[in-house]
Amino acid sequence: MIDVQNVTRRFGSLTAVDDLTFEVEKGEVVGFLGLNGAGKSTTMRMMTGYLPPTSGSLRIGGFDVLTDSLEVRRRIGYLAEGVPLYREHRVSEMLAFQGRLFGMKRADIRRRTGEVLDRVGLSDRSRSLVGKLSKGMRQRVGIAVALLHEPDVLILDEPTSGLDPLQRVGVRRLVAELAEEHTVMISSHILPEIEAVCGRLILLHKGAKVADGTKHELLKKLGGSHLKLVVAASSTDGLRLKRALAGVLCKDELAQEGAIFVRERGDALEATLRVEQNPAEAVGLLAAARGWILRELSWHEPSLEQLFGRLATGATEEEAALSKHDGGDSPEGVAYADTAELKPAGPEPGSTGSDSPQQGAEA
Amino acid sequence: MSGFRAIFQRELTGLFLTPLAWVLLVAAICLNGFMVVAALMGSGGDVDGAFNYMLGTSGAYWMLMISLPPLLTMRTISEESKGGQLEFLLTAPVTDGAVILGKHLAVVVFLSVLWAVVPIYGLTLELLGVSPDWGQMALGYLGAVLVSALFSALGMVASALSSTPLLAAFLGFIFNIALLVLPMGAGSLGGTVGRALNALAGKLDVLTHLQLSFMRGALDSADVIFFLAWTGLFLFAATRIVEGRRMWS
Repeated sequence: MIDVQNVTRRFGSLTAVDDLTFEVEKGEVVGFLGLNGAGKSTTMRMMTGYLPPTSGSLRIGGFDVLTDSLEVRRRIGYLAEGVPLYREHRVSEMLAFQGRLFGMKRADIRRRTGEVLDRVGLSDRSRSLVGKLSKGMRQRVGIAVALLHEPDVLILDEPTSGLDPLQRVGVRRLVAELAEEHTVMISSHILPEIEAVCGRLILLHKGAKVADGTKHELLKKLGGSHLKLVVAASSTDGLRLKRALAGVLCKDELAQEGAIFVRERGDALEATLRVEQNPAEAVGLLAAARGWILRELSWHEPSLEQLFGRLATGATEEEAALSKHDGGDSPEGVAYADTAELKPAGPEPGSTGSDSPQQGAEA
Repeated sequence: MSGFRAIFQRELTGLFLTPLAWVLLVAAICLNGFMVVAALMGSGGDVDGAFNYMLGTSGAYWMLMISLPPLLTMRTISEESKGGQLEFLLTAPVTDGAVILGKHLAVVVFLSVLWAVVPIYGLTLELLGVSPDWGQMALGYLGAVLVSALFSALGMVASALSSTPLLAAFLGFIFNIALLVLPMGAGSLGGTVGRALNALAGKLDVLTHLQLSFMRGALDSADVIFFLAWTGLFLFAATRIVEGRRMWS
């Protein structure tokens, strides 16, 4: 349905979108993720034909955006960032205007106006002035306007920006419903937003695509999932712990650098296994067999936020995965987040015992 | 075509929904009313002379012509470009030209309504028993509409070039004054440059074209075409500037 090939867009010396290529099948819901200035809006504007690309080609529904611009525009419902509507008009007038712009018949406009307002939950507001509506309602009017002509492709640029949490949930639910019958592209810099709605995510950073796939695939590609194990130091020592854990992992996993970290924290040993699949069961069985006194066994998948943080700061994989860790899911809230203290276990347990004062205070 | 009509209708209702348009309308009606009375009294009851004055020679006429179109066109592109409405229009299945033309026609229709007040004063006199020269009046009115169209087109160019409505109004104002004054000033210049400027000014002489045809009550199609051609050219320029904004902005 959407075919973007090697698209580059420059503004003077600034490259906003850099050799971007992706395809979207009919019925897919794709989320565009990126920080401010990553090129999300520019890409969407190029898809609507508003901005011509500097190079590359975009096709929507088989029509070239540049040469068959009007055909493309007929098939697109576009909600630009900031929801540009004419505030001096009533909601119904705004919809009627959209209908006439798209050359719809009067009866069709009337029928569809009822349908889309119903859809976005604003049936009772058709006589309200657009400018007098709350931001969340205006956003929904914007979506109604974009939906009016039954477009094949719906392009929503930051549909939830500036909304309160409740309104966000509302818009999210609406988008999830729309996803059932349209090809949808949504952009956002708010990750949970898009994570919840989109089957597929495209991560943009500085105009280039850095990842493309389901949330799971992205996590896998960008890495960072790990199992955390805390056992009482009295029940084993670091070296034994490490060796025993190595038995749980397969060869490939072991081959990765730093697959197992063990360090001493007060009267406990903390092990981190950096693997893709959760080995918690095997590790649990191992703990039982060896008689380790288990204090914590938890599986951590980094959120997209953490992956993003890494992209933005250019931090290394392990730094990001660990430093961006939100302490919420580790009950003790230990100084686990501090990467500087994470050291691989030496041959002697004593060699890892260089506790910093801060660590000692917390332990 | 339906897109053009939709834009024209929305712009026209949009104009009548803004306070500025009503303020301008009332101010112009008051000024014109005052001028009609003053002209009639000043000329000792020369009705045709008074209306000729109203639709072409008075300072008030040219003041309104220079200042009103930029105030009406100032928002059309600059503000909508900033607010995103222009993006909304240009991503609908409507050509850039249709957007510009629809907006321009709405302003021209608004100004036509505004100038219609002069024939209405004529009608008042007719009802009072003094008949003005209606043929002359009709031509004068047509002239006013054509001049409005030309200056509005120039205002659209100014709006397309500007980032804020205020700047657009000011720039439009300057453009309009330049268009009027250039032919007057160019004649006094000598040399090659002066002659070239003079030749150009001759092609742009709004005042002469208006006075030769519309104000003498003799319609020359060449003069109608003069106004339409320049209006079209400026609208074309505005369209290209809007396209350019998308290219580079």
